[in-house]
Amino acid sequence: MIELYHISKQYEAGQWALLDVNLHVLKGDFWFITGPSGSGKSTLLKIIFREILPSRGQIVVDGINILRIPDHRIYQLRRTMGIVFQDFRLIFHKRVFENVAIGLHVLGVPLKEIRRRVFNALRLVSLHQKMWEYPSHLSYGEQQRVAIARAVVNEPQILLADEPTGNLDPELASEIMGVFKEINRQGTTVIICSHDKELIRHFGDKILFLFKGKIIGKEVLPSSKK
Amino acid sequence: MSFLILGVFFSLSNNLQHIADDMSESMVVVFFLSPDVTPEDLRHIEAGIKASPYVVRVDYVGRQQAWERFQKNFPELQEILKNLGTNPFPPSFEATLQKDAFRSDEILGFIKEITNITGVEDAQFNRDWVQKMQSMSRLARAIGLFLGGILVLASFFIISNVIRLNVFARKAEIEILRLVGATNTFIRLPFLLEGLTLGILGSLLSLALLFVLIRLFPVYLGHSLGPLQEIVGFRALTPPQSLAMVAGGALMGVLGSMSSLARFLKI
Repeated sequence: MIELYHISKQYEAGQWALLDVNLHVLKGDFWFITGPSGSGKSTLLKIIFREILPSRGQIVVDGINILRIPDHRIYQLRRTMGIVFQDFRLIFHKRVFENVAIGLHVLGVPLKEIRRRVFNALRLVSLHQKMWEYPSHLSYGEQQRVAIARAVVNEPQILLADEPTGNLDPELASEIMGVFKEINRQGTTVIICSHDKELIRHFGDKILFLFKGKIIGKEVLPSSKK
Repeated sequence: MSFLILGVFFSLSNNLQHIADDMSESMVVVFFLSPDVTPEDLRHIEAGIKASPYVVRVDYVGRQQAWERFQKNFPELQEILKNLGTNPFPPSFEATLQKDAFRSDEILGFIKEITNITGVEDAQFNRDWVQKMQSMSRLARAIGLFLGGILVLASFFIISNVIRLNVFARKAEIEILRLVGATNTFIRLPFLLEGLTLGILGSLLSLALLFVLIRLFPVYLGHSLGPLQEIVGFRALTPPQSLAMVAGGALMGVLGSMSSLARFLKI
């Protein structure tokens, strides 16, 4: 599904954010990428959805080398992915419904279908009763769940999440992980960046350890081989 | 405002052109005759005038008729005429020319030829006046295009800046749209439509203001201009001119948006 070959990224001369990263993610996988701050987790995600380009290496997503996709065709890649950001990136002057529906509007989905899918996505994160609220009226955890609903509403093949449980209390973090697991069970490939060891121990199937941009370990837990 | 300035000068130009057209439509050469012209000379002169292909109509105006016409047209000058004691007006032939015949230089040869006939004393031909009107009309149009052009350029930058501010204000939204797979067209379209709307509304507003100006000008200022009122007047824009203004506004709006998007929306 996602193949990374010798990926390196250098932001400034002499400093490598990523160095020779190789990773093969299979369809339906549930990966955690972990490591301390500055280890290159977010950089790796940004390269996968081509927000930034690597300095070296190649990436193949679903059989296509995404580095060869011209800029004006990147939208085709992005439509196969759902992305959850650490800072949520919600539009605060639009209601929860509109925030979640934005990806469907882009695809030209009819309004009736948009209503149905937005409702289902919000129900998945238990926020369907707050569909007409503004994000600013929601708690931190609820805003995070709106961002998750937006990422899953167009049933993406790949879900990328950057520290989706950062700053949440353990109970809420577990709840959100449960949502990701449910989405994964429905066939979506999930890659989550997190430094929450407890969460990874509890939910992790496949874990990639990064340190100063280099892979220092990979772990495949027995449960993922089922 | 820029389209209003453009419209005002076009409206002035339309008026001048209209006056010039009116004058050229009924362009008349007046051949003044000697007071003691003989009937034979009259026939000879009339035949000479009628022989010209440029002339569509010939009218003889006798001395008495000229006197009465003057009294009718300038009643305030009647006293002066009475004091003269005699009729100072000579008889004349008025030759109405074909439309646009005055543009031909051959007409001058024809006038000279008739003036040489015995009994013809002088000729009056106000071709210069028509040509002056036409050049004034062209001048008004050129000034309008120049001033309007500068202001249209200014409105281009204003629209461009409005769109730029909107792009900045919606930066986060644009970023999200990009990440959920929106095409460049999908992202740009609302801004282009906004520019288009601003341009069209601006030009429609200026057309409305111009309409009010044309209506109110004669009421409030017209009389104070006296005899100049007819020249320094406004005439409504023609439908193609109005359409061109709206189309120009729309084009300006779209170009303003596009320039802003090209510079500030790197997608």
